[in-house]
Amino acid sequence: MNRENTIDLDSYRLAQYAVQVPCYICDGGNTFDAELCRHCFAPMALAHQASTDKVRPQMLAAIGPSGAGKTVYLGMLLDMLSRQNGDLQMLARGAFSITLQQITMAALSRCEFPTKTPNEPDRWNWVHCQLRAARRRRPIELMMPDMAGEAILEEVEHPGSYPVIQALLKKCAGVMVLVDAMKLREGSLDEDFFTMKLLSYLIELDGDRKRGWSRRPIAMVFTKADRCEECFLDPAGYAASHASGLMQHCQERFERFRFFAAGVAGSCAYLPTPDGGRVNIPLRIEPRGIVEPFEWLVSQLRP
Amino acid sequence: MTALVYVKKLLRARRFLAELSRTTLFIGCGGAAGLVIGSFSGSALAIGVGAAGLTFAATRAGMEHNLRELATAATRVDRQQPSSAPAVAEGVKPTDIEALVRQMLGKGRYALLLRPEVVPNLNQRQFQKASDALDDAMAMVPAGEVVIGRWGDQDETAANAGFGSPGTVVRVENFYLDRFLVTNRQYQEFVTAGGYEEMAIWDPEIWPGVLDFVDQTGYPGPRDWNRGRFESGKDDHPVVGVSWYEAAAYARWVGKRLPTGAEWEKAGSWPVNLSVGSRPQRRFPWGDSMDRRRANLWGSGPGATDSVYAFGEGISVGDVHQLIGNVWEWTTTTFGNWSYPARDVVLSTPMKTIRGGAFDTYFDNQATCQFQSGEDPVARKHNLGFRCALSVCDLAPAPGDAETPETAEPHEPPRAADEPVAAVVAADEEGACV
Repeated sequence: MNRENTIDLDSYRLAQYAVQVPCYICDGGNTFDAELCRHCFAPMALAHQASTDKVRPQMLAAIGPSGAGKTVYLGMLLDMLSRQNGDLQMLARGAFSITLQQITMAALSRCEFPTKTPNEPDRWNWVHCQLRAARRRRPIELMMPDMAGEAILEEVEHPGSYPVIQALLKKCAGVMVLVDAMKLREGSLDEDFFTMKLLSYLIELDGDRKRGWSRRPIAMVFTKADRCEECFLDPAGYAASHASGLMQHCQERFERFRFFAAGVAGSCAYLPTPDGGRVNIPLRIEPRGIVEPFEWLVSQLRP
Repeated sequence: MTALVYVKKLLRARRFLAELSRTTLFIGCGGAAGLVIGSFSGSALAIGVGAAGLTFAATRAGMEHNLRELATAATRVDRQQPSSAPAVAEGVKPTDIEALVRQMLGKGRYALLLRPEVVPNLNQRQFQKASDALDDAMAMVPAGEVVIGRWGDQDETAANAGFGSPGTVVRVENFYLDRFLVTNRQYQEFVTAGGYEEMAIWDPEIWPGVLDFVDQTGYPGPRDWNRGRFESGKDDHPVVGVSWYEAAAYARWVGKRLPTGAEWEKAGSWPVNLSVGSRPQRRFPWGDSMDRRRANLWGSGPGATDSVYAFGEGISVGDVHQLIGNVWEWTTTTFGNWSYPARDVVLSTPMKTIRGGAFDTYFDNQATCQFQSGEDPVARKHNLGFRCALSVCDLAPAPGDAETPETAEPHEPPRAADEPVAAVVAADEEGACV
């Protein structure tokens, strides 16, 4: 037996569905109510927030091998910029922008490092923030994701496997390349090779002579430098002596690059895990050289 | 320049070897550390003679001659430098006790004058001067119990997660603690007097390593100094860039020692044992809540070391300054003894506990009286300094003082019957008197 019902037709919804909203990162079309881009898994909130801005937000990225300290570096940086009254001040836009800062700070204050960033792009933390610099009249809108090192490696080895990384790095105004200073000192060439691969990937991504990666600013950051003082004293010298291949690569292919050293923990120890392994823990938190690379990078951005 | 540094290093090495081959010159004072009075010259050493447990090198004259020769050579090499030879009490007659006392007081070595072996040779006025100097520079911390190793949140959730610990009760005897951190100016006296060559004040295991404790230019001294001098304008800043061994050697040179972790915590948290099971202990020297205006921490100071006389509002109940902030402080306690009881930390190298946080300490909960961090004893960090301590029982009682610390009846605070008190004298801790 059929009953006749009258159902209101939400015509305005149909109309909204008909209009595709482009993802801010990969430009792929999405419905207006999508939370994540169905093409690259970047949050659609970035696109919605960007559409309300007068200026188009710029993008920066922190890239580097797994375990180089990308999450700690970004989380620490965001917290420092939002707490201090220095030349650079940060204001998060959207609740999702604070998550990275929150999880990093929660872990560090307990003398632990945050857990490994998952490889799935839909679980990455993105940051959209407004940056006020002392020397600029207008604030800068910035977007930064905290990507997994293994995902970056996969994309570098097999371009196209992570569309979000490719799309982001194409559009980025500059990058911070994080390199583990301790591994370099131990003589591990993996860091050196991986970073060179990463830089080659960038050049291949956009080789335009005027706007390509050879003209964009690159901050090379040696992380975990708190455990080797000579790195702090002379980061470029450290690069020359411990990563000569990388140094030469930079000199020949990039016009704007600078070496920095950063550290977050004063000293570290290990904690055994129930499965027989061990995790690294910081014994105290004393950030050093965190803001400088970012400050330089921002000063290199076009207004 | 490089050649000069090399020659100086060579001279230091020769000095070490010369001393090694002879009987070590020091007076054992009954404590864990030998009381070195190597800078007293010639027969003035008689000041300390007479006490039990005294050893005296028979070849003293020969060694001094040797040292003088080397010192002259060093001066010839570089006349611009402050003499790095062991101080030979220049211009002081061996028997001139008055001048010696004056010199010792001038160098902040008053604690040596107050040793039981030395006091009988002083007159009342000299004793009073030394005693006043002690009271000016050091604060008395009364004996008692302190809960050590309590850290993290004390609520149930944190405890379940293995984060946080209720701590252990430790008894601490009467002791004095420096009111201020050791400054560059004070440490300069030690460097200039040739403290880095007086090997008797150094722990034997570090003797080969002492030659490596040099400044930027290769001269003996803290890491960031230049040609054996601290940076101008930083006279009152705490000395940093010194290893644990350098801190311990300085402490012995002035007749003191480094505090134990328990002593440091007692001076800061100032526990008051009112009744059984109740031990109110402060989280910060000024109270229970963080007030960043009272300490040089990240975001509240110049972002570097500051004068030890700054941040006066952060003073403790017992008048000790800057326990929190400015620089971390070395203690004699091995890291791991009292920390992370619920967590079995594996260290890549043995560490000494450091306390108090520094100008770049980021989190409030890591700049408390309870928080402990560790550092490799040979590390020379830009934010790590020290202050010295002194056991009351290592000092001579004042003349006419009927009740000496040893004979005084200690007042035992109430304690629950089943509550154990941990023995504070671990193998590596030289806090208590022997």
